Amino acid sequence: MSNDTGRGTFAPEAFEGDPADAPHRCDRCGRPFEREEWLTLHRGLAHPGDLTDAEKEQFRAAHADEQAQLHRFRLIALGALVLIYFGLLLIYALLAL
Amino acid sequence: MQRPDPRRGPFIHRLAAGLVLGAILLAGTAAGHGGSLASGARESIAIPLWLFLATGGGAVGASFLLASFVTDRLLVERLDDWRRAIPVPGERIVVRAMQSLGLIGLGAVIVFGLVGPPEAIANVSVLLVWVGWWSGLAMVAYLVGNPWPALNPWRTIAAVLPSLDRHYPDRLAAWPSVAGLLALVWIEVVSPLADDPRLLALVAIGYTLVTMVGVVLFGADVWFDRVDPVARVFSAYGHVAPLTRAPDGLSLRLPGVGLSRGVATDWSDVAFVVALVWTTTYDGMVATPLGDAIVVPLAEAGLPPVLVYAGGLLVGYALFLLAFWLAVRASQRITSTRLSVRQLAILFAPPLLAIAAGYHLAHYLGYFLNLVPAFVAAMTAPMAAPASVPVLAIPGWFSGIALAAVVLGHLLAIWIAHTVAYDVFPGRLQAIRSQYPLVIVMVVYTMVSLWIVTTPAIDPQYL
Repeated sequence: MSNDTGRGTFAPEAFEGDPADAPHRCDRCGRPFEREEWLTLHRGLAHPGDLTDAEKEQFRAAHADEQAQLHRFRLIALGALVLIYFGLLLIYALLAL
Repeated sequence: MQRPDPRRGPFIHRLAAGLVLGAILLAGTAAGHGGSLASGARESIAIPLWLFLATGGGAVGASFLLASFVTDRLLVERLDDWRRAIPVPGERIVVRAMQSLGLIGLGAVIVFGLVGPPEAIANVSVLLVWVGWWSGLAMVAYLVGNPWPALNPWRTIAAVLPSLDRHYPDRLAAWPSVAGLLALVWIEVVSPLADDPRLLALVAIGYTLVTMVGVVLFGADVWFDRVDPVARVFSAYGHVAPLTRAPDGLSLRLPGVGLSRGVATDWSDVAFVVALVWTTTYDGMVATPLGDAIVVPLAEAGLPPVLVYAGGLLVGYALFLLAFWLAVRASQRITSTRLSVRQLAILFAPPLLAIAAGYHLAHYLGYFLNLVPAFVAAMTAPMAAPASVPVLAIPGWFSGIALAAVVLGHLLAIWIAHTVAYDVFPGRLQAIRSQYPLVIVMVVYTMVSLWIVTTPAIDPQYL
């Protein structure tokens, strides 16, 4: 399971289960994916050296898309953090009274 | 080989990510101080138990959220890959010295166990095993680096023994070490191994004989890598530590990053990690009122207590395995990944070793410091009957360190699992989501651990 080329490049010797029916497969390493965006991201991360111009463009678009989704996630996560922090603070304050 | 550009975030992003990481570590310390205040001031403010546990669980959940803010793949990658080589002058002499020390230690355990004073607290054998080795050396293994491969007296003896090089059945994998670990912990709990130097010496002799037969049959490497539970426990803890053995001396890395790859390769390795986490918990749980509440009725109903403890050990272990398996399967569903549950379990079990290390520290640091003076006194006069045994008084605020250790272990595990998830999943949101079920399990487990660590230990009725 050696993996020295960087993150997002996890490459086990074999993919278990039944990858034959996977909707998308990497044509370089055979890794199966459920969604096309993950295949696109995987290609850019794991095989950056031999991408066609079209694939590079796809990767950039998928990456920008992901960035926007992460942005939304961060807002929700921040909300949850505030809730945990002030929730506990309030409970402590109420008990101290 | 240049990757496409978008992955390189601006410097300010990396700086922000660094600050968040710092905040995670601070949050851990702050939680520790809070805990110490809570335990020191419990009489005056009396924080209810549920709130104390909720705070611990909340700290772990919050640190997962904080870790999820670090979305710069390059930063995650750099923290994981950072290494510094540390040359060791005279490495061969150092190793020889450690090997000799290990042999002397084993000899001392056996000889003074048999002929030393029968009082456990004054006996070198008992103190060397429980204070010096099982507490102190294990702490060195996860806080500094694993010294056991050099110290291991049985490995040193094995080097001069002939080997029949029998083929070790591959399908056994590391399962014997899982059974061995459970058996050792069971023996430790149900027998007076920590009170009876004679018995301890006999167990040491028995363990030596079994190990010698094993290494002669299968060879030392197979035996200590796959079968010997002790060597595997130290090796597992060693992956948490910042120092590791490199071809030319030592290598320094950030704590915990040794868990991010290559630690587990099959189900038996996963089972061993879960067994280590469970046995540290079990060890603490038998001395709580809950432990007795389960054992006493069963024992009064006529079941032999020794078997009740074995049953509890196995049932609890099965529950831990089930919880981990369910979490990993849920993670597989949430991420709609094409990786098997087995592959995901192999990837996400090793980070749990940081939790086991944190829990071990919480459980044993006070015990270790308390008995170090007795250990030193016994070493200087191994045959003397005790007039008075010196011990170190542990101040009350010290329990705060134990709580901090539990929370810090979880924080480290969360960060390493984050690193692994980024390595495995092409989508970063997919990587974050993969951790939801595991974080829920960790939050629950933190609360259980904190409860055990802060519950005053009782003397179990049947031990």
